[in-house]
Amino acid sequence: MPKENKQKLSSIIKNNIFMIGQVAKYTPSYFFWMVLDGVIWGLINSVSAFFSFNLLNTVSAGSNFPHALKLILMMAAFTTLTYAFNEIHAYIINALLKQKLHIKMHEELFKKALSLDLACFDDPEFYNDFVWAMNESDTRATAIMDDTNKLVNRIVASTSLFGLLITIDPVIAIILFVSSCVTVICNLIGNKINFQHQKEGNPLWRKRGYINRVFHLSDYAKEIRISKADELLVREYDQNTEKLIEIDIKYGKKYFLFYGLGWNMMGQLTMYSMLLYMVLQLKTGSLAIGGFAATVGVVWNIRWTFTSLIEYLTKYPAHSLYVEKYRQFLRFIPEIKGGKTDIPEFESLEFRNVSFSYDFASHSAYRLRKDGQKQTNNIGKLVLKNVSFKITSGEKVAIVGYNGAGKTTLIKLIMRLYDPTEGEILYNGVNIKEYDAVAFRRMIGTVFQDYKIFATTIARNVMNGKYVEETDKETVIKALDAADFTGKLLTLNDGINTQLTREFDDQGTNLSGGEAQKIAIARVFATDYPIVIMDEPSSALDPVAEYNLNRSILKHTDDKTVVFISHRLSTTRIADRIYMFANGEMIEQGSHEELLAVDGKYAEMFRVQSEKYKEDHSA
Amino acid sequence: MQKQNKKRKLSFKKTVSNNLFALKAIWSGSKVYLLVNLGISAASAVLGFLSETYLLRVIVNGVQSGKSIDDIIKYIVILGIITVVFYTSTNAFGHILSRKMQRRIAANIEKQLFRQSARVELACYETPEFYDKYVRAMDEAYNRMMGVMWALGALISKFVALSADSLLLFVIDPWLILFGLFPLLLGFIKKVENRLSHKHQVELKTVKRKANYVKRTFYLSDYAKEVRIGNMHLQLLEDFRNTFNEYKALMKKYSFKRASLVFLQHIGLEVVTILGATLYSVWSVMCVGPENGGMMVGDCLVVLSSIGVISRNLNNLVQNFAQFDEHALFLEDVRFFLDYTPTILDGDKTAPKEGGDLVVKDLSFRYEGAESDTLKDINFTLHKGERIALVGSNGSGKTTLVKLLMRLYDPREGEITLNGDNIKDFTVDSYRHSFGTVFQDFKVFSLNVCENVIMRPEGEGDRELVESALKESGIYEKIAGLDKGLDSILTREFDDDGVNLSIGEQQKLSLARVFADYTPFVILDEPSSALDPIAEYKMFENMIRATKGRSVIFISHRLSSAVLADRVILMDKGQIAEIGTHNELLAQNGKYAEMFRRQAENYLGSEVTENA
Repeated sequence: MPKENKQKLSSIIKNNIFMIGQVAKYTPSYFFWMVLDGVIWGLINSVSAFFSFNLLNTVSAGSNFPHALKLILMMAAFTTLTYAFNEIHAYIINALLKQKLHIKMHEELFKKALSLDLACFDDPEFYNDFVWAMNESDTRATAIMDDTNKLVNRIVASTSLFGLLITIDPVIAIILFVSSCVTVICNLIGNKINFQHQKEGNPLWRKRGYINRVFHLSDYAKEIRISKADELLVREYDQNTEKLIEIDIKYGKKYFLFYGLGWNMMGQLTMYSMLLYMVLQLKTGSLAIGGFAATVGVVWNIRWTFTSLIEYLTKYPAHSLYVEKYRQFLRFIPEIKGGKTDIPEFESLEFRNVSFSYDFASHSAYRLRKDGQKQTNNIGKLVLKNVSFKITSGEKVAIVGYNGAGKTTLIKLIMRLYDPTEGEILYNGVNIKEYDAVAFRRMIGTVFQDYKIFATTIARNVMNGKYVEETDKETVIKALDAADFTGKLLTLNDGINTQLTREFDDQGTNLSGGEAQKIAIARVFATDYPIVIMDEPSSALDPVAEYNLNRSILKHTDDKTVVFISHRLSTTRIADRIYMFANGEMIEQGSHEELLAVDGKYAEMFRVQSEKYKEDHSA
Repeated sequence: MQKQNKKRKLSFKKTVSNNLFALKAIWSGSKVYLLVNLGISAASAVLGFLSETYLLRVIVNGVQSGKSIDDIIKYIVILGIITVVFYTSTNAFGHILSRKMQRRIAANIEKQLFRQSARVELACYETPEFYDKYVRAMDEAYNRMMGVMWALGALISKFVALSADSLLLFVIDPWLILFGLFPLLLGFIKKVENRLSHKHQVELKTVKRKANYVKRTFYLSDYAKEVRIGNMHLQLLEDFRNTFNEYKALMKKYSFKRASLVFLQHIGLEVVTILGATLYSVWSVMCVGPENGGMMVGDCLVVLSSIGVISRNLNNLVQNFAQFDEHALFLEDVRFFLDYTPTILDGDKTAPKEGGDLVVKDLSFRYEGAESDTLKDINFTLHKGERIALVGSNGSGKTTLVKLLMRLYDPREGEITLNGDNIKDFTVDSYRHSFGTVFQDFKVFSLNVCENVIMRPEGEGDRELVESALKESGIYEKIAGLDKGLDSILTREFDDDGVNLSIGEQQKLSLARVFADYTPFVILDEPSSALDPIAEYKMFENMIRATKGRSVIFISHRLSSAVLADRVILMDKGQIAEIGTHNELLAQNGKYAEMFRRQAENYLGSEVTENA
């Protein structure tokens, strides 16, 4: 739930109309049918009230049975038609159009999502809004349409019922109108109280959720079993319960005052006094029996219609908050934009005085989005400081350093998942901002540390998208072989057409961490990338597997430019050139031997890691 | 909300007993709450009947037959007073008086579940079926119990309304009852429709799963990089669009049939029953006439309103019973979980505070449902005060062995003894509490620092203990620098002033747990490769220092740290491949020596292999 700040009435209306407009744009027919349905059902109450009014008057008049029969038959025909309409609408038209809306809205959202800078994913506030927009905006759109449908229904129903009542007895109509207004006020106050109740209770409920989670997540199970943490948590739970009761009773009392005494008691009293009034009218003969019965029916109906009218109206402010997020998301302009799509053959890649900070307050697009809200202008901690180096075609480069040295950030900059805060990155001497980001990224094959396997066939996973059997089969098999996956492949019945993950196929194959990583590595071999980046390729492997993998990668990337990232120095020996990073700065560079000879930080790090081995070897 | 719950069928007896279980649980929480709520259901049905159907009859028939207006007014006034008083007091009960009772009932059941979840053995978490049941039980227990009560209340109120309205109809004209019963015939149409609808939903689920997967790949940050560098997104978009066709195909298959069935039901109810009964009563008033035994106009009014009440209530009755079925299904999980007897049981003895020799004899172990043993014929002794390094490749059984030592599982064959006593002879708690452990995936709780270290309610003198433990583990300065020091709540889970520690700091905190509690045994699971080599090395030395004089087992992924141990156990495919001191194993020139050389080679170059 978004934080419920005070919203202006105008923005509530604007946001809801915006969303209804979106719906009307994507699927005009859906919008049309929803309104039509609201009108038709809105009339039903008045039609049947009108019907019983006439019928009872005819009956109490006593003589004209054929007229009564005609009325009943007409009512039967009307009922049959409305239900036929309802069933067709609810089960076929509405269901289909809703789905269409779902697809169309999401296609737009997906495209938008792809154009987002990766930086957005790191900004928790934006990310929350984004996930919501992706996940819920269409259900929110249909919820708004559902409520609008009901609202149209209630408005048509209450106006027509009031209209009917005025023709029967204006006095009652006026009394009822006044009492309905009181109902509205009581309801609004009641809602406000409920809202405050929720707000005050929220932190407590979060805590309960947490306690519950700790008990049921297997992550915590071991810890709980070897300690007395369960006692601590139950104690917290008990305290939480007491606080919750306190809040419940506090707000329950307020709510009772307005809802129980105000709305309920007032409402009942009005009803019974009107009943008394009508009985007197009936006795004096100024009201016919049909009129009396119809009025009683209409009065009950109006009361109910009005209450639910309010109920639906009060849903719009919440809708508006969500729509606001959706609009923010749509308004968001990605910072990394397109450029030339024609990219020349790779010769060199150069970092020139590049600095980078993850603080997004310094990004103009983010500020744009946060328009009108408070913003901080300080540039955050620099993750990379004034980095310069050059990689030329065919080079094998290792980037090493401790955790937090900025290695992975560097890769993200190379791939233009982010743009540098200061300085520039040159491709063959041209700033990479000149090129289209998507086209540029196609030049680089990357195995991320947190690579992902998609729930589709091995072949598609390796081809990273479309797989055509005739042309791609050999490529895939070769690539898998290069990634040392052949052994596993032979054990799979469907070969490269094996469905990976059990996401939607219970027969799907779940690969182990090491095997999955090999698939990710095969991607790099399947497409002829001039530049290959390996982000900690051996992190999930045991020593022997690490050893085999390193050999294999080297063998298959002979003519390519390769960038290894590692904090284990074992891999780095094979590189032509090593760049050592610390705290965002490049502190040393050179070949393994050169750096050892310099006897600086690299040499120290290498010694720490190899010390134990050395000691015992000489022992 | 109906969760994905396979359509299991419970026997009638089970269904009844599960519903009774819920009522009993409420009853034991608060008798008043249960009785008052059920009473309200019954009373409001009576009041509804009197103020709607019956009231109209009294008024219209009274006026028509020329009764004294005073009697009618008296009836209205009395009914009005009763109604106002009744609804006002039920409101007061619902909003104020019952709040405490509700929470007590919830706490009652939830605490039972918490306690039980801390009791069941760890293996349960690994059986997906058990685990699902457990999570569902936790999520649903309270709501389902209340659901049973409300369903019973609804049943009572329907029963009252039905009997009152039918009785009145019967008094007016026995033939009218036939109209009221007609909806029962419609029940079978409903059944057919329900079955279709269920099938439709089930088939839709696979379509939805596909669409949801595509959605996830677009918004999860895990996939963000991957989606941006390939063409996978085009494939995904196409898959997504295709779900519409599948959706449409399913609609063709089911929706027309479903719509027709629902239409039949509606017409049967609204046209045949209600308008049919109306026609009959209008005919009876106008063509037969009250003087010939026909109805009066007021009776006609009663028919109009009560036929609707009867037929709609009868129509919903099926749903009402279905609710009991559904609740019973969920409560089955709750009961299964609560009734579950853990297989790891307490012995009579208390584990010795000073520890001793831990002997593992012919131990084998297999995970539930696995096809082969994870551990086979393990034999070794952990002497008092000894340090053993446990090494081996991924999946060789290191972690499992440690879990067995701590009695998080019981062995399938063989035994573990402490000073000659089988560890099963000790109470589970006393035995487990003789271990201090830093897991690889250690957890920090959303409690204050002090409680996070001692992991039990704070007692006298604990402050000093915690302070010295934090000093030992090297994080005291950080904690002391916080605004609230030891009282700082960790994580921002629900406290915006909460403190988020870095992974390294969290690890130090969990290490402090080992310092704070002088347990005879310590188990250290070496931190993962997330830490950089120097930090990792320092952390490890710290750990070793922490445990002087205690028996220690540490799991080590990098062999360089194995050097610190008194003895090394090399695990391979669930068995002990080699055991001995580091130097003995190197001299043996077996697997361990080979692995050690491999790793060393990466650092030292090929001369190692050559020399060897």
